[in-house]
Amino acid sequence: MDHSTSKSCTNANHDDKSLLHWTQWQLLDSVLPTGGFAHSYGLESALQSNLIKQPEDLKPFIIQVLDNTGSLFLPFVHTLNKSPDTETWARLDNLLEATLTNEVARKASATQGSALLRIAASVFREITEPKLIRERFIGSGLVFFHHACVFGLLTGLLGFDGRMAQRAYIFMTMRDVLSAATRLNVVGPIAASVLQHEIASEAEEIVEKWRDRDVEDACQTNPLLDTVQGCHAYLFSRLFCS
Amino acid sequence: MAETETTSGIVTVEKVRGRSTITRCFFRYPLKLILPKKVGSSQVDAVWIYALSYGGGIVSGDQISCKISVGDGCTASVTTQASTKVYKSVDSKCSEQVLEAIIGNEAFLALIPDPVTCFSTARYNQKQNFRIVSGSNLVVVDWITSGRYQSGEKWDFTSYKSTNCIYLDNDRPIFIDSVLLERSFICDIAERMQYYQVIAMVILLGPKLKNLQNQIKEEVKKMMSVKLRPPTTNFGRHAKSEAQHDRLVPDLIASCSTFGPQGVGSVIRVTATTTEAVYAFLRTHLSSLEVFLGAPPYCQSGS
Repeated sequence: MDHSTSKSCTNANHDDKSLLHWTQWQLLDSVLPTGGFAHSYGLESALQSNLIKQPEDLKPFIIQVLDNTGSLFLPFVHTLNKSPDTETWARLDNLLEATLTNEVARKASATQGSALLRIAASVFREITEPKLIRERFIGSGLVFFHHACVFGLLTGLLGFDGRMAQRAYIFMTMRDVLSAATRLNVVGPIAASVLQHEIASEAEEIVEKWRDRDVEDACQTNPLLDTVQGCHAYLFSRLFCS
Repeated sequence: MAETETTSGIVTVEKVRGRSTITRCFFRYPLKLILPKKVGSSQVDAVWIYALSYGGGIVSGDQISCKISVGDGCTASVTTQASTKVYKSVDSKCSEQVLEAIIGNEAFLALIPDPVTCFSTARYNQKQNFRIVSGSNLVVVDWITSGRYQSGEKWDFTSYKSTNCIYLDNDRPIFIDSVLLERSFICDIAERMQYYQVIAMVILLGPKLKNLQNQIKEEVKKMMSVKLRPPTTNFGRHAKSEAQHDRLVPDLIASCSTFGPQGVGSVIRVTATTTEAVYAFLRTHLSSLEVFLGAPPYCQSGS
């Protein structure tokens, strides 16, 4: 039993900052079962409207989706990352419900947010709010569990820095659209990875442009994509939920 | 409603001897309001208000703010005589139009203007707030063209922002939509909009509009279902795949979403390659509003 004492001394030296890296990577890892892969962010609809005709059209499409994600969702991620309390979360969740006027996007956001909160309650047991919020609000009809709000809240509770949280939100969106693109056969997996690396600089510019804003300033920047994404329910044959 | 130094217009509609009547109408430069008596059928109880700008457009730096109140059971229609031109920005000044509207119980407000057209380098901000109760009825058309696109001026303005907010029982937001189109190094407006020169949004809300909401939802679904097709299996494999390139981009794309508690409202978004196509869409799908307004929207407008 002698060796166990020296081992526990080493464990006590791991600081919280190092452990935070593991948490961050886990939250961004596609292996986390949050159901993000059921959504194409309007890509499937854009393909069927012939707005994307060839693989070269994918890069500008993704950049536009990320720009709109920045303008619409980063204010919610930012505000909740700074104030990760239940009252602020419930108020902003209701505000985002009114702001997501696109029914397809609104339902996708609620589905993904619910899944993320459920996983967080099971996995990140050092924070109690996810479990308490679920117990208090599920089935009440008072909140909608929108994804950006749940994500912002979690990053705040887990101690992510604000800029990192906003960058992570854009990263996850890019990750999911590229995944949808490979499943829709727009590009192969290697080409998708090449694109992901290429788009990183524009993605960072987008984070810089839209970060740290108030929710009153949330806006959408691409009415064409918004209209097209809204057509998702009219697709006769579809792979994705949105 | 209190008139302040910056108020450009105030209109109050109330029931007088059982009929919708404009009991107050105030306006000052740069806004002009015209209240024609004989727009619609006299069988229908509705008042019509035409909002005009001096010189036919909004000049750099103009600030226009207007308040309208539609009392219980009244119907009012607000429109324009022609598209609203927003002229180029001088000294980077931004022009702004703000509307505050209060709609009472069983009241009906139809805001059915011609589109806004921003000229090259223009900067324009528009904000419309609607305060409703559960029995209110509202139709809002908010739309913009890319510029003098037939002369090649396409999405050449500097900045356009339009915000529409609907608040239930004074402070509960049920619809908050803000569209921002501005010059950006990340992505040009023209590149974002591709072949499309017009974007429009139609909001329908309230018990009197339930049937129309359901009807439009079906019509849009039917129209779009034939325009959307999965790409052919040759997608991306052959650069000159004729099957893919032959498929044209639709001239008009529309989608319909419900919003609000119990889906009380619907919002239809439209993008099109020509203004005429959107006028035709609005004329066709809003024609049944004649029974409420006395005249069908957009029948004298456009081509």
